[in-house]
Amino acid sequence: MMKRKSVLLSVPYILWMLVFTLIPLGVVAYYAMTDPATGAFSLGNLKELGLYMPVLGQSIGYSLVSAAICLLIGYPVAYFIAHQGPVAQKFLYMLVMLPMCMSFLLRTLAWVGLLQDTGIINNLLAAIGLPRLQLIRTPGAVVLGMVYNYLPYMILPLYATIVKIDHRLIEAAEDLGCNGVQTFTKVILPLSVPGMLSGMTMVFVPAVSTFYISQKLGGTDTVLIGDVIERQFKQGNNANLGAALSLVLMILVFVCTGIMNRFGGDEEGVVV
Amino acid sequence: MKRANKIFTTLIFVFLYIPMVVLIVASFNTGKDMAHFEGFTFQQYARLFRDDSLLALLGNSLIVSVLASSIATVFGTVAAVGIHGLNPKMRKTVMSLTNIPMTNPDIVTGVSLSLLFVFVGSRMLGQRNSLTFWTLLIAHITFNLPYVILNVMPKLHQMDSSLRDAAMDLGCTPVQAFFKVTLPEIMPGVAAGAIMAFTMSLDDFVISYFVSGLDFVTLPVEIYSYTKKPIQPKVYAMFTLLFGLIFLLMVTMNLMQLRSDKKKVAQQTKVPSRGTVIARRVIAGFVAVCLVVGCGFLFFQGRNQKVTINVYNWGQNIADGSDETMDIIAAFEEAYPNIEVNYSTYDSNEVLYTKLKNGGITVDVIIPSDYMIARMIREDMLLELDFDNIPNYSFVEENFRNTAFDPENKYSVPYTWGTVGILYNTKYVDEADVTGWELLWNEKYQDKILMFDNSRDAFGVAQYLLGYDVNTTSEEELRHCAQLLQEQKPLVQQYVMDQVYSTMINGEAYIAPYYAGDCMQMMDSNPDLAFYLPEDQGFNMFIDSMCIPSCAQEKEAAETFINFLCDPSVSGANMDYICYASPIAGAKEHMDEYLAESDVIYPDEQILSQGSSYSYLPEDISRLVEKLFMEVRNG
Repeated sequence: MMKRKSVLLSVPYILWMLVFTLIPLGVVAYYAMTDPATGAFSLGNLKELGLYMPVLGQSIGYSLVSAAICLLIGYPVAYFIAHQGPVAQKFLYMLVMLPMCMSFLLRTLAWVGLLQDTGIINNLLAAIGLPRLQLIRTPGAVVLGMVYNYLPYMILPLYATIVKIDHRLIEAAEDLGCNGVQTFTKVILPLSVPGMLSGMTMVFVPAVSTFYISQKLGGTDTVLIGDVIERQFKQGNNANLGAALSLVLMILVFVCTGIMNRFGGDEEGVVV
Repeated sequence: MKRANKIFTTLIFVFLYIPMVVLIVASFNTGKDMAHFEGFTFQQYARLFRDDSLLALLGNSLIVSVLASSIATVFGTVAAVGIHGLNPKMRKTVMSLTNIPMTNPDIVTGVSLSLLFVFVGSRMLGQRNSLTFWTLLIAHITFNLPYVILNVMPKLHQMDSSLRDAAMDLGCTPVQAFFKVTLPEIMPGVAAGAIMAFTMSLDDFVISYFVSGLDFVTLPVEIYSYTKKPIQPKVYAMFTLLFGLIFLLMVTMNLMQLRSDKKKVAQQTKVPSRGTVIARRVIAGFVAVCLVVGCGFLFFQGRNQKVTINVYNWGQNIADGSDETMDIIAAFEEAYPNIEVNYSTYDSNEVLYTKLKNGGITVDVIIPSDYMIARMIREDMLLELDFDNIPNYSFVEENFRNTAFDPENKYSVPYTWGTVGILYNTKYVDEADVTGWELLWNEKYQDKILMFDNSRDAFGVAQYLLGYDVNTTSEEELRHCAQLLQEQKPLVQQYVMDQVYSTMINGEAYIAPYYAGDCMQMMDSNPDLAFYLPEDQGFNMFIDSMCIPSCAQEKEAAETFINFLCDPSVSGANMDYICYASPIAGAKEHMDEYLAESDVIYPDEQILSQGSSYSYLPEDISRLVEKLFMEVRNG
C-alpha cells in the first residue's frame, strides 16, 4: 500500500526530465531539419554534414588518444592512492578533486602562458641558451590540454574500483603461486576493468565535444566538432546546421558509450 | 617498483598543479603578461575588491549554484525515494532518462536547452527576453538532478527496508518514517550529491554559455570573454582567492569527517542526547535560513526602481576609467541616477547579428557598422529613433548624415569612424615587405600572421588584394576570395578579434589586419608596433553607429544614453581611450592633442579618398559569404 504511494513521488521528476531533456532533443531535431533562411522543412543541413566528417574523425582521434593516455598515466596514480593509509587516501583524493573545482578556462589559459612562443617554457629555454620550440598550436598541445583537464575524471573512478578490490582475492592468488606480475595481470587488472571503462567514457565525452581547448591550444587546422558547433551558433548565423551537427555528436557519443558499456556489462557502472 | 610509482605519482601531481601555480604567481605580478614576472605586488587584489562588476559576477555564480544545487538536492532525494519504489523495468527506464544529461556532451545539453527556451519563450509565448535568470536556473537544476539521484539511489538500495516498516509498525506516519529513519540512513548519499551538484554548477561554463542571455551572466561565462580580451590580472587574483577558499573548505571537511568517523567508532551504541539533537537542528535551521536570506538579499539587492538598459558594444570600445580616462558609464549613471547600464561586449558584427537573430535576449543599445546597419534595417531589426530625445544629434557632422546605409537618418546615430589597415611589429617585420595586403600571405612570416575572425572583414582583405569590388555579388569572385583565404590558412597563427590585443602586444604574432583605433591602443602598449594603410590597393572605411534593436525594452532610456555619448566633451573623452575618430563636431578639442593630430586616426583627405565602405549585400549573398568563411575556418 505504502509503496504505491511513494511511487507517486517520482512523477514530478519524470515530467521534469521529459520536459527538459527529451523534448529539447526533439527541438534540436526540429531545427536540424529546417532551412535557416526560410524556416521550411528541409534536409539541406543533413546533406551538408558530409563536409564535416573529417572534422568528426579528427575529434574522435584526438579524444581517443587523450583517453588512452589518461588511462596509462592515471592507472598508476589511482593504484598508488588506493594503497595508502586511510588519511593519506582522503588527502590525495582531495588533491585530485581540487583542480576540477577551479575554472578550467583559466587553467587552460595558464597552459597558453606556459607553451606559447613567448611563454614561460620558451623563455626558460632561451635563458639557458637553448633554441625555442614550437610547443603551442600543435596536435600535441591539444592532447596535452585534454589530458590535463580530464585526467581527474579518469583517476577518480579507477581509484574507486581499485580500492574496493577484495584483498582476500589477491592473497588467494599469491597462495596459489602467482608472482607479483601475475597477480596484477590476472587478478587486479581484470577487476579494475569497470573503473577503466567508466574513466574512458568520462574522459572521452567531454574531450570529443570540447571547443575551448582546441581554440586556445590548437592551430588553425586543429578544428574539432565542438568548435564548429560553437561557431555556427555564435557567429555563423546558422543555428540549423549547428543543431544538425549537435545531433550527430550526440548519436556518436551514445554509440561510443553504448559500446563501452557493452564491454563492461555492468549497467549501473561506477558512480564516483 | 613501489618507489618508482611514488615518484611517478608525484610527477603527475606536479603536472596537475603547475598551471595553478602559474596563475597564483601571476596574481602577484605587476605586469600583465604571465610569462614575465616584473615585480611583486598586492595591487591586483586591491583592484579586484574595487571592481564591483567582478564581485557581482561571483555573486551571480553563487546564487545560481546554491539555489540550483539545493533545489536539485531536495527534488532529487524525493524523486529517488519514488524511483526506488518503482518496479524494476520502470526503474530502468527512468534511470536511462536520468543518464541522458550525464552521457550527453555538455555542448549538446546547452544547445538543446537554449533552443527549447527560445522556441517556447519567443516563438510560442511571444516574449522578448526568454533567456533570463530563471531559464539559467532551470538548466542548472536539470544537469544537477542526475548527480543527486545517482548518489542517493545506491544508499536506498543498501538500506534495510524492514527498518522503515518497523518504524511504521511502531506508529510512525510514512512522512515521519522518512524523516526519522530513511533520511538519516541515506544522508551520506544526499550530502555527496549536494556537494557534487554545487561544484558542477559553480564551475559550469559550457551549458551556461549557451543558455544565458545578456542580463544575467555567471562568472565562468564572463571569464570566457575575458580570455579573449586583453586579460586583466585581477582575474588571477580572484582565482587565487577562490583556490585558497576551496582548499580550506576541502581540508576542513576532510578533518571533520575524520573526527566524526573516530567518534562514531567510539560511541557506536550511544544515542545522542535530546540536547545535542535540538542543538543540531538549530544549527542546521540557522544555516538554511542564512543561505536563503543571503541569496534573496543578493538577488533583490540590485532590483530596485531603477531602469536597466542593456548596452551591447564591441570589446575595448568605450572608455572605462583605466589609465586616467573618463569612466563613461559611471559618468552616465551619475548624470542619470534612475538609469542603470548593464554593459556587455561582442567581437564582430556577425556575432552581434547572430545573437540577435537567434533571439531570446533583450538589448537596448547596439553599435554595429554601416553594412550591418543596412542589413538590419532591411530585416526589420531596428527601431526608428525619436530624435526629440537626442538633441545632441545637432553636433553630428554633416558628412555623417544621410549616409548610404541610413539615407533618411532614422535608425542610427554615428559613434566612431575609422579605417582598416595592417598592424605589424617593426622588430620582426622587414619594412621592405610592407608593400600591401600581400604581406598577410608572405610565407616568411608563417605562423606569425593573424587574420580577422569575421567573414566580411576577412573577405574584404582578399577583395582588396584581388582588386575586386568589396561589395561584389558575383559568386565566382567570392569563391576566388574563399580560395585565397584557404591558401592563407597554413600561414595563419590564429583567427582573432579582440584576442589580437594580447598576441600582438606580447610579440607572439607579428602581423595582423585590424581596425585603426584598436591598433593605436595596441601601439600605446607596445612601441614596436606600427600601422600601415595600403592606400594603393584600397582599404575599408567604416562608420560604427548607435542603434536600438527591435528587441529593446527601454527605448527612451536607451535614447538618453545615445544622447549622452553625442555630447562633444563626452565623445572627446571617450575617443581618448578608444583612439577612434569622432563624428561629433567639437569633440576633437576635448581629445588629447597627439591623438587629434595622429594620421592613423585622422588620415589625409587624399588618402581617405582611396578607401571604400562596405554596403548592404543581398540576403543570399550574405549567407554565401558566411557559409564560405565557415568552410575556410572549419575545413
